Amino acid sequence: MRLLTGRSRRALAAFTAALVVASIPASAGAQSKKKTTGPETFNGKAKVQTGTAVADATFTIQIDQYTPEKDLKAMEAALQSGGSTGFVAALRKAPVAGHLKVGDKSFTIRWARQKDTPKGRVISIVTDSPVYFVGAGLPDAQSKAGFDVAVAQLNMDSAGLGDGSIALAAKVKPGGQNGVEIQDYASEPVKLASIMKVIS
Amino acid sequence: MRAVRLTASLLLALPLALGASQAGKSTAPESFRANGEITGVAGGVATAMTFQIDKYTSDADHDALVKALKDGGNAAFLAAIKKAPKVGVLTIGKSAIDIRWARTRPEGTDHRRVAFVTDRPAFFAGAGAADAKPTAGYDLAVVEFTIDAVGLGSGTMAPAAKVKAGGPNGVEIDDYSGKRITLTTVTRNVK
Repeated sequence: MRLLTGRSRRALAAFTAALVVASIPASAGAQSKKKTTGPETFNGKAKVQTGTAVADATFTIQIDQYTPEKDLKAMEAALQSGGSTGFVAALRKAPVAGHLKVGDKSFTIRWARQKDTPKGRVISIVTDSPVYFVGAGLPDAQSKAGFDVAVAQLNMDSAGLGDGSIALAAKVKPGGQNGVEIQDYASEPVKLASIMKVIS
Repeated sequence: MRAVRLTASLLLALPLALGASQAGKSTAPESFRANGEITGVAGGVATAMTFQIDKYTSDADHDALVKALKDGGNAAFLAAIKKAPKVGVLTIGKSAIDIRWARTRPEGTDHRRVAFVTDRPAFFAGAGAADAKPTAGYDLAVVEFTIDAVGLGSGTMAPAAKVKAGGPNGVEIDDYSGKRITLTTVTRNVK
């Protein structure tokens, strides 16, 4: 997956891996061979640094179940045929996969996928609404329209520790080498740090 | 959004505190560095900024602003503040915002209070939320801090606010976020 626009390029670069995971055709492979199935919970901290400020927040990702391949395929097909609008519509019809919680707010995850890596696994999630528009507080902020989802990638090791990145408000588009592009509203990447899988 | 009363020390206290007249020898021009932070349920934001005050607002200009607020409310005050002479600059990152009203007065034996208003908002704290309220009408920023004789202090900032007539002091500050930024450290730059 490729990230868009000059302003967002740096942020988008951070998502390449996530989106590659998300954009690999469903037929190319199933989810993690180890089948770490839901439910599982991750806690961590999100950080972003701009030219004027530093912000951080704690978050919890609760994955009840990873999205079945047929639903992933349906969303990928909707993206290719209906563009961003089609993808969002399909996403919002998909079964609930979990929740992303930040403070007292909860956002529904409808895309959750994991893939094995040499050191563990990569988990990608997409929420059916944006979480936060980083930079929208500036008087000359760009419009929020069209940034209808949030996309995150978690790089987890076998011990349950990891890091990652998140586009808190994003637009998913068809295109690029892998067929999917993510445009991040934020001009700077939001990093996920100190992610820990909660041992139940 | 709750109206935040910025105590009797701000412009509000115009007639009462800062309003009377700025006693003592003028300290302007002077500049300050400040570190601000605002926290919420999930986390927080920290930022650094500088305040350059070239001169403090004269009693005559101050009185004109007070009259505008009393007679015409926020709209008249906003119009008056934009017409007032520039007295300094608030800088956050690459953003420089003109200060159009600034007052200072002694407080105790070795402190003084400084307050100023810019002619446009600095930023809208919380506007990034998906359900954020409209930003229209919050057209200026208000800062106040106390500094000691050494040049160290602390204060608060309403980065996007509107001024309303009312309250016990005759003026209320309605802050966009409902929660002011804490200026944890303010340091007067040595000339």
